[in-house]
Amino acid sequence: MAIEISLQAELREAAGKGPARRLRRAGKVPATLYGEHKPAVSLAVDPKQLAAILRSESGQNTIFELRMDGEKTAAMVVDWQREPVRGALIHVDLKRIAMDRRLRVRVPVQSQGEAVGVKVQGGILELVTREIELECLPTEIPEHIVVDVSNLSIGQNLRVGDLQLSAGLKTITDPDRVVAHVVAVKEEVVAPAAAPEAAEAAPAEPEVIKKGKAEAKEGEEAVPAEEGGKKKSS
Amino acid sequence: MLMPKKVKYRKQQRGRRAGKAWAGGQLSFGDFGLKVMEPGWITDRQIEASRVAMTRFVKRGGKIWIRVFPDKTVTKKPAETRMGKGKGAPDHWVAVVKPGRVLFEMEGVPHAQAEEAMRLAAHKLPLRTRFVAREEQG
Repeated sequence: MAIEISLQAELREAAGKGPARRLRRAGKVPATLYGEHKPAVSLAVDPKQLAAILRSESGQNTIFELRMDGEKTAAMVVDWQREPVRGALIHVDLKRIAMDRRLRVRVPVQSQGEAVGVKVQGGILELVTREIELECLPTEIPEHIVVDVSNLSIGQNLRVGDLQLSAGLKTITDPDRVVAHVVAVKEEVVAPAAAPEAAEAAPAEPEVIKKGKAEAKEGEEAVPAEEGGKKKSS
Repeated sequence: MLMPKKVKYRKQQRGRRAGKAWAGGQLSFGDFGLKVMEPGWITDRQIEASRVAMTRFVKRGGKIWIRVFPDKTVTKKPAETRMGKGKGAPDHWVAVVKPGRVLFEMEGVPHAQAEEAMRLAAHKLPLRTRFVAREEQG
């Protein structure tokens, strides 16, 4: 299989937070490349190219050609960190891929059809497991696993073991793990006028003060502390 | 109203809210969420008001997750009291949030409806927020 997507990378000499921050200010993202029993290499990559790979149909499971210093390697993204507020990429882990060796990947789950429990019974379809771990050849990685939920009614679920996968794929995720289920809607009880008053009165400040681990041991300390508090207030 | 069942100490110091929410900043349960953009405290009443606003808007359908819990006690001195004489009595509970924290998540409703529900919820909060969706998160 010819690899269509490529990612340009530069070798990165300096390591640590200072050089990494300078790199980010210069519009690059620090990355590391490892795998295939070769030494890890520090790299700098273009965040736009990387974001395009992560946004593509195959997402993180996209196998691309990593070009650095005239060398070409098949690689994929195995982990990445984002800044929590703006979501910009901070660091990326890349892994060398051998095209003839099976690898483990996490493939997203996509629901298909409208569940009976949603359509007729008015429940909510909940995708509990959004990714399934598979073992397969790099050329056989599916973009997503389609889960037909049309027969699910309220209280029913679909497990990993129920999924119909093609021959070359082996599931690593526990077969008993629930993928999707339909749950009944919890109706919001519209509180009558009396309820807000009760709510006002109830949460004043009731909390249970947990005493020390062993009262016998720390009893001496705990008791004076409580008494001290009482003395202050009185 | 949300509050802990049991606490080790009745009163706490105020603390600081430096940095960003390096944990709890990604959508973990639903397809849509409300992300806070500045640090601060969110009270138990504000969380409840937001929850009620969202639940009433989506009516039937839609599942909501609350990703913050008010586990910090805030004390208050009675009105017209002179300073001193010790720390005031516990008054309410707050959740300490830092920028990037996902406050609420929602599933089972269309994008537009979730966005409107989150907008109504955001109006009950004292901090700037942003609507986030799983398809944009990447």
